[in-house]
Amino acid sequence: MDHLKAINQKARRIQEHVAPGVPGEVAASPVAANGDADLDVVALESSPDRSGPHIPLGCSLVFAPGWEVDSTGGTAGLCQPVERDLFDCHLACFWPAHVPDQLNHAPDWTGKCAAAQKDWRKIDLIFP
Amino acid sequence: MSPGRGRTGSGRNRASGRMQSLSLPLVPTLSAFLLSVAFPPAAPAQQSGDDANGTGIPVTDQLVIDTCDQCHAVDDDGMMTRVSYMRKTPEGWQQSIRRMVTLNDVELEPETARDVVRYLSDHHGIAPEELRPARFEVERRLIDWSYEEAHEGDEDVDRTCSSCHSMGRVVTQRRTKEEWDLLMSMHRGYYPLSDTQGFRRQGPAPRGATDARHPMDKAIDELSGKFPLTTAEWTSWSATMRPPRIAGTWALRGHDPGRGPIYGTVEISQGADEGNFNTQIRYAYARSGEQVERDGRAIVYTGYQWRGRSFEGASEESALREVMMVERGWNEINGRWFAGDYDEFGPDVTLVRADGPVVLGLHPGALRSGSSATVTVHGANLPTGLGAADLDLGPGVEVVSVTASAPGMFAAEVTAAADAAPGARDVFLAGRPVPGHLTVYETVDRILVTPEAGMARLGGGAFPRGYAQFEATAFSNGADGEPDTDDDLDLGFVDVEWSMEEYSAIFDDDDIEYVGSLDDNGLFHPALDGPNPDREGMRNNVGDVWTVATYRGPDGTQVRGRAHLIVTVPLYMRWEPWRVQMVPGGARRTSDMGSQR
Repeated sequence: MDHLKAINQKARRIQEHVAPGVPGEVAASPVAANGDADLDVVALESSPDRSGPHIPLGCSLVFAPGWEVDSTGGTAGLCQPVERDLFDCHLACFWPAHVPDQLNHAPDWTGKCAAAQKDWRKIDLIFP
Repeated sequence: MSPGRGRTGSGRNRASGRMQSLSLPLVPTLSAFLLSVAFPPAAPAQQSGDDANGTGIPVTDQLVIDTCDQCHAVDDDGMMTRVSYMRKTPEGWQQSIRRMVTLNDVELEPETARDVVRYLSDHHGIAPEELRPARFEVERRLIDWSYEEAHEGDEDVDRTCSSCHSMGRVVTQRRTKEEWDLLMSMHRGYYPLSDTQGFRRQGPAPRGATDARHPMDKAIDELSGKFPLTTAEWTSWSATMRPPRIAGTWALRGHDPGRGPIYGTVEISQGADEGNFNTQIRYAYARSGEQVERDGRAIVYTGYQWRGRSFEGASEESALREVMMVERGWNEINGRWFAGDYDEFGPDVTLVRADGPVVLGLHPGALRSGSSATVTVHGANLPTGLGAADLDLGPGVEVVSVTASAPGMFAAEVTAAADAAPGARDVFLAGRPVPGHLTVYETVDRILVTPEAGMARLGGGAFPRGYAQFEATAFSNGADGEPDTDDDLDLGFVDVEWSMEEYSAIFDDDDIEYVGSLDDNGLFHPALDGPNPDREGMRNNVGDVWTVATYRGPDGTQVRGRAHLIVTVPLYMRWEPWRVQMVPGGARRTSDMGSQR
């Protein structure tokens, strides 16, 4: 990328963010750490060493974005805070393995907590 | 969302919003209709006893019949609807019975439930060869696993199931085709959105598609082909299955992530019934010398599936759940003992029968050329009074003196010559080969941090914390001097300094300030759950970071390795049937059957 020149603000930020002296380099490895961490920009749309998202668990789940990780295998794209989305998932039974569903397992789940973002400590953990 | 931070609207939110507008008015009607299809409450479902995948397994136990036949009719051949046409692990049967209790109003005493689980696991279970590829599921291992690779599975089928739960839950079951079909119906009845989430294609098949089936139909066809009720493995195993003959003394070797190798013994004694056992477990950590004494109980299901629980003294908090397989031949039992709110702690263990002398392994497994160390060979029933000549460490490594020779261990001061050839040496103690190697090396050239991709969950406020344990393994480049080649030498667990670095997923990423901390032993402690008012957009303390291990050599050189850690949100449901949950604030949440095994 040596022949490329930043011409707008976003491009300049990219250039500033990557390693000084290594213009344009975007590199990261999950196992090799031999230099300054600032060298690494693992952008949402990049997965340097992988052909697809890395879901860090055999028992993991693969929505896009998923519950634990987003479609790139990170957390930056998750709906946040999770409490903002919680009752929506509950009412629609959207994440039935993660969030109690209102149809069967926990019809009164929201009873003690009308606003999850405020009263999140009152939310029950459900053992179906 | 956090405007200006580059975070886009979530597909989850968009999708659920769309679904909500459609589903809320429809939910009662739709669910009532589907439930009426899937679960006719009064008339037991008729099920053909003849299926291309098998003819069913008769239920012969009167307690099971009496417990289940209100809903599951038994025909003249002893075939019980649904139950006769599936096979599962003990956890699978526990989960089914819990569902009958919580959703279908079955009234069941815990003792009865346990007996039913026992019968069904033994007679409608799965064979060792069927469980082995999927044992990560019952051993609760955080691993990378691919259905496509492990079972040559179809990507659409994988997505259909693992959109909501582990494929491990699927591949630890065997069913007739009709049963796989009914299982899909059950999901569609309980979770109507599953249709749009993955079961059925939304719209016509893509132009030119050679396979126009809906994903759920593909799944039924594939799963009934790959995981049928009748298999050679189960036919063979069930015909000769018997209670295991495993009472006696066993030698234990294992590895506790973050703490290193363990060695010891396990006394297994017969319990009250066949298949029930009591255990006395004694082991020590090779690195620290810390001694551990545990006592426990176990049931062996299906003739080989060990499910136990052990404690240090009377401390309930010290409980470890034991999930192991008794290997064919009755000379080895292996698996995992675990604890933690997300099953994240605990050693991998192997038990070998110790009727006579057993050599388990040695520690440390690596020695720098030109250096000295105390090398300990661990075992059980070892001869005592052994001398320096009894330990053969291979060329270039000399035994200087013996420091201990006891039934459980042999220790000696050894020196590796400065010109000793780098490489792994087979080791012999009194003529017996020692599992593992002693590796002589010149320099530590690479550090591998495992797991290479770890996951922790926020907690401590309303939900339990999910910790993540990392550990560092050293490697030498070997004779070719090149990293990541076949001749690299594995030097084993090493002490390192732990730190964290930002994993920059977006500009100005600041996750590292919020996610939690990594202690001196490589254990990550996640931060508090709940929205963080100090964080932009009230984000939770989620994030991605590198966990970095820095090894300092004797000459002051540094070698670093790192792993990716994801710190993510809690789970709001826990399906594991055995779980006893201590939640912040001291409240105890559990289920009727959860505390037994």
